[in-house]
Amino acid sequence: MSVAPSAPPIEAHGLRKAYRGRPAVDGIDLLVRPGEIYGFLGPNGAGKTTTMRMLLGLIRPDAGAIRLFGRDPHGDERAARARVAGIIEEPRLYTYLSGRRNLKLLASYDRAGVGPEVIEEALEMVELRDRAGDRVSDYSQGMRQRLGVAACLVRRPQLLLLDEPANGLDPAGIRFLRRLLRDLSARGVTVFLSSHLLAEVQELCERVAIVTAGRIAYEGSLDELRARAGRRYRLTADDRPRAEAICAMTDGISDLSVSHEQIEFAVAGDGALLRLTRSLAEADVVIQALVPEQLTLERVFFELTERPSVEDPVMA
Amino acid sequence: MIGGVWVAYRGEAFKLLIQRRTWLGFATAAIGPIVYLLLELTQGPPHGPLTNNLGHTGVGFALVVVKLIAVFGPAVIAALVAGDIVAAERADGTLKTVLTRSLSRTELLIGKLLALFTYLALAMALFFVVSTIAGIIAWGFNPLVNISGYRISALHALGLDIVSLLVYTLPVLAIASFGVFLSVVTGQSVPAVGGTIIYAMALQGVAAISSLQAAHPYLLTNQLTAWHDLFQTPTGGALIVRAIWVSAAFALPPIVAALVVFNRRDVAS
Repeated sequence: MSVAPSAPPIEAHGLRKAYRGRPAVDGIDLLVRPGEIYGFLGPNGAGKTTTMRMLLGLIRPDAGAIRLFGRDPHGDERAARARVAGIIEEPRLYTYLSGRRNLKLLASYDRAGVGPEVIEEALEMVELRDRAGDRVSDYSQGMRQRLGVAACLVRRPQLLLLDEPANGLDPAGIRFLRRLLRDLSARGVTVFLSSHLLAEVQELCERVAIVTAGRIAYEGSLDELRARAGRRYRLTADDRPRAEAICAMTDGISDLSVSHEQIEFAVAGDGALLRLTRSLAEADVVIQALVPEQLTLERVFFELTERPSVEDPVMA
Repeated sequence: MIGGVWVAYRGEAFKLLIQRRTWLGFATAAIGPIVYLLLELTQGPPHGPLTNNLGHTGVGFALVVVKLIAVFGPAVIAALVAGDIVAAERADGTLKTVLTRSLSRTELLIGKLLALFTYLALAMALFFVVSTIAGIIAWGFNPLVNISGYRISALHALGLDIVSLLVYTLPVLAIASFGVFLSVVTGQSVPAVGGTIIYAMALQGVAAISSLQAAHPYLLTNQLTAWHDLFQTPTGGALIVRAIWVSAAFALPPIVAALVVFNRRDVAS
């Protein structure tokens, strides 16, 4: 059965899933474009894995709709997964079989009739050919992770869903994974990458969804995220304690911290900065320096994910 | 659908054949009759219908062992594999790996069920071959006196042995179906394996309640002795027919229930 070529690799609307009444996923919408590496970012317990399980048809959503290349993975499971592969959490393989035998077995479940050359090519891509005859029980976690990726590749997927793929990998393994995902993306494979590691997503993805408490807090490009997520300033004044007190009292100034006699704070809107400088001048506090800070994505991430609730997601 | 079931069946059969537990079952099926034969040789021939033949012919030896192990032998062999067949994959996390491939859940579960039935059929066949060869070596390939006291030729008796084993296998498959159901529903090997054995024991317990005598012919455990019909003169056939439909009646509801649960249940681990 063929997939609809014009349909987006992932389209999800209003996904909800609750466990014992507690929402794990609470109204998630996703649209992933062909060929991109899409980051699905959030802290542990944010609902990333539950969302991915729903996408792969492992668990049923309580509400909402999913389409993979235009097909419903819960109603038309075989067709929807025809060009889709994924790993949820760490790859689980048959430890009593060799790596190569695992791939042959899993490839047989794909009903695609792939030959041994496809299996060898996948082993080559993940650099496991030398150890492919060994039992998986003798593999390190990093090797299992790579074999899991190879098990996905033998399906020749157009969409690859990877849940925290860098877990358990050493720096060399992470570098290898990044190279592999870029290669796949260059070949037109869409990658949906979930992670709680900002650096990993930052390295690979242009577009991200940041999820927290089961809801999307931001959806769009990383550049726009940096631009939209508010501004921070660093203030140096002749009377630091008074300046700090004035900052704390000024509306629109938040997230105050002091480092090396410099006061750092976030500003919501231009009016707040104006009010602050006026208050400082009225109090005879001399501003020695007031410089905008280059926001790190990490800080934006924490600002978004540590909000008590996400009523209005930021959309780029 | 059939193509998917065949793919699932081949994969599941391969996995079963490569596991130590499966070969333990085969070893039990092969060694059990030899151990019993050695006991018989040291203690002298036993008494009772069919068993009286031991000492004169080895043709009916497989059925003598079957009478001895009646419920618990096949229940244990079936439970060990059936109870594990889904639960172990769920516990190991490999179930989610398989479910992200191109098989539907229905195809996968039917494939597992057929692989399990194949394993049981092979175990029974192995048991039959080993016990028949061992019996013939010990007591010869001679005519046999059936339950009604009539003498039947060795070749004829051998044919009846084969049919009897097939009939005996039917309720064993029904017990295994219940094991698969427990494996799907509990998702844990120990309760599924233990529950299957308890199920077989409970059925045996019900069969021992004399006030339920009217229901006895329709109990699963009673079908384990339906093959007696073949060794009576005249041969009836009614017991065999009943064994077929009673076994099916006991097997189908747990299979259907297992399919429903397996298709609906979230795979979250």
